[in-house]
Amino acid sequence: MNNITMDRTTGADSTVPALAIRNLDFWYGSNHALKGVSLDFPTRQVTGMIGPSGCGKSTLLRILNRMYDLYPGQRATGEVMFDGCNILAPGLDVNVLRSRIGMVFQKPTPFPMSIYDNIAFGVRLHERLSRTDMDQRVESVLRRVALWNEVKDRLNASAAALSGGQQQRLCIARTIATRPEVILLDEPTSALDPISTARIEELLDELKQEFSIAIVTHNLQQAARCADRVAFFYMGTLVEVDTADKMFTAPQAKRTQDYITGRFG
Amino acid sequence: MMSAPQSHPADGSGWRRGGVQATRRRLVERLVSLLCNMATVVVLFALFSILWTLVTRGAAGLSLPTFMHSTAAPGAGGGLANAIIGSCEQTGLAALIGTPIGMFAGIYLSEFSQDGRIVTLVRFVSDMLLSVPSILVGLFIYLIIVEPAGHFSGMAGTLALAVLFIPIVVRTTEDMLRLVPRAMREAAYALGAPGWRVILSVCLRSARGGIMTGILLALARISGETAPLLFTSLGNLNWSTNLNAPMASLPVTIYQYAGSAYDDWVQMAWTGALLITVAVLATNIFARWWLTRNGTAQQ
Repeated sequence: MNNITMDRTTGADSTVPALAIRNLDFWYGSNHALKGVSLDFPTRQVTGMIGPSGCGKSTLLRILNRMYDLYPGQRATGEVMFDGCNILAPGLDVNVLRSRIGMVFQKPTPFPMSIYDNIAFGVRLHERLSRTDMDQRVESVLRRVALWNEVKDRLNASAAALSGGQQQRLCIARTIATRPEVILLDEPTSALDPISTARIEELLDELKQEFSIAIVTHNLQQAARCADRVAFFYMGTLVEVDTADKMFTAPQAKRTQDYITGRFG
Repeated sequence: MMSAPQSHPADGSGWRRGGVQATRRRLVERLVSLLCNMATVVVLFALFSILWTLVTRGAAGLSLPTFMHSTAAPGAGGGLANAIIGSCEQTGLAALIGTPIGMFAGIYLSEFSQDGRIVTLVRFVSDMLLSVPSILVGLFIYLIIVEPAGHFSGMAGTLALAVLFIPIVVRTTEDMLRLVPRAMREAAYALGAPGWRVILSVCLRSARGGIMTGILLALARISGETAPLLFTSLGNLNWSTNLNAPMASLPVTIYQYAGSAYDDWVQMAWTGALLITVAVLATNIFARWWLTRNGTAQQ
């Protein structure tokens, strides 16, 4: 059997990367958006992806949970290995894949339902829990994202009434509630104020104890603060990848240097 | 980029700068707002004079017998009970038939639009139906149902109303679903939800206020239709809830009574018109209230 299953087997051996991309190419119709990218996402580390707009970093993120499947005309070739199978393979169960590789988007997107149901929605898709177990799951993920004290008295209120920062933390809670192994974050703080941003960055530090994280950001300070490793993309190619320290102090490529010193981008 | 802030005279003369240009601008501004206000007054005057006429002329007939008795011969003291029940039955059933069909078609147009040509065709046909004269719908139902059956029937009237009802629901369902942000759909897919779950639990939920409003507005629209009922349910002088027989309705009764020579029939026509107007107005107000309560504010 070569299809993906619900059994969590990754992460036992932290020397094996959570995700390994090999020779990945991606097309939006005839537009060749990613060219021959190979990149590892180490287990339980934060990998930051930076680069100017349109460099392909968000595109890469959307390949990792097959989000591009929703749109005809988009296709990927190459290999992305996750838990022993190539997630680009046709016939792969994308719903199972997406429960194991969660995603948080740029804008907070609470569903038009209560705070409780926002979290329970994803869990119910993959697990049958008793009412008590579900209550516990909801409480534990809300505590993890430090939202529990703010919302515990109004779990049945509409999630739309929360502030932007609270909504984004709710979206992260919703994502980790399905117990994924990898979390993809697509500029998760670009719509938030500095205080909410700081809280989410703290949260990332906490979450990497358990999850492997890939984050796309336009904010270089954020990449320096949060990421263990940083990958720099330019015009659909991966220019350079290294530890955050090295990337921001002694980058190898001239392009990386120009970008992080603000000479273009 | 920014020049140094200019110092302003402290005597307030800064507000009157600009000379001829500014004077002209102010005049145009006054003129345009005057025209807008006048247009508003004209529209409101028309609306309220219709309502006023209906209330003053129709209110006289608002008595218990009107609701208790069926239509009767002139001078026999009849009511509108058969027309009221007929209207309720036909519009209600038309809404029951039309809502699921219209919603499914709207969902198809908005969510399953992979094959562009079929979608364009369905949308075109639906939009055509939206603007087709309602008397043609009546004739169409007459040809395919009344003529083969050999008699008029409440069911034929119901179907004619449903044909008018469906395209309105198709349009609002599609429009409201398209308003659901792409990010919200993607967020639901990203949790591993299958497509039908995303549509049912997230998109329809998010759009339910708008779709509900569309259904109520469609209901208001068909409850006043006369032409499609003339060749289909025909009208019935007696109390009848049988869908297989001719059935009375308020619009058709108004049509028949308003032009008659008998004062009590004309009075009944005014009262019937008042009843329809109040029902439509109430539906509209309810729809608006519903939308502000459950609509876009929910997103």
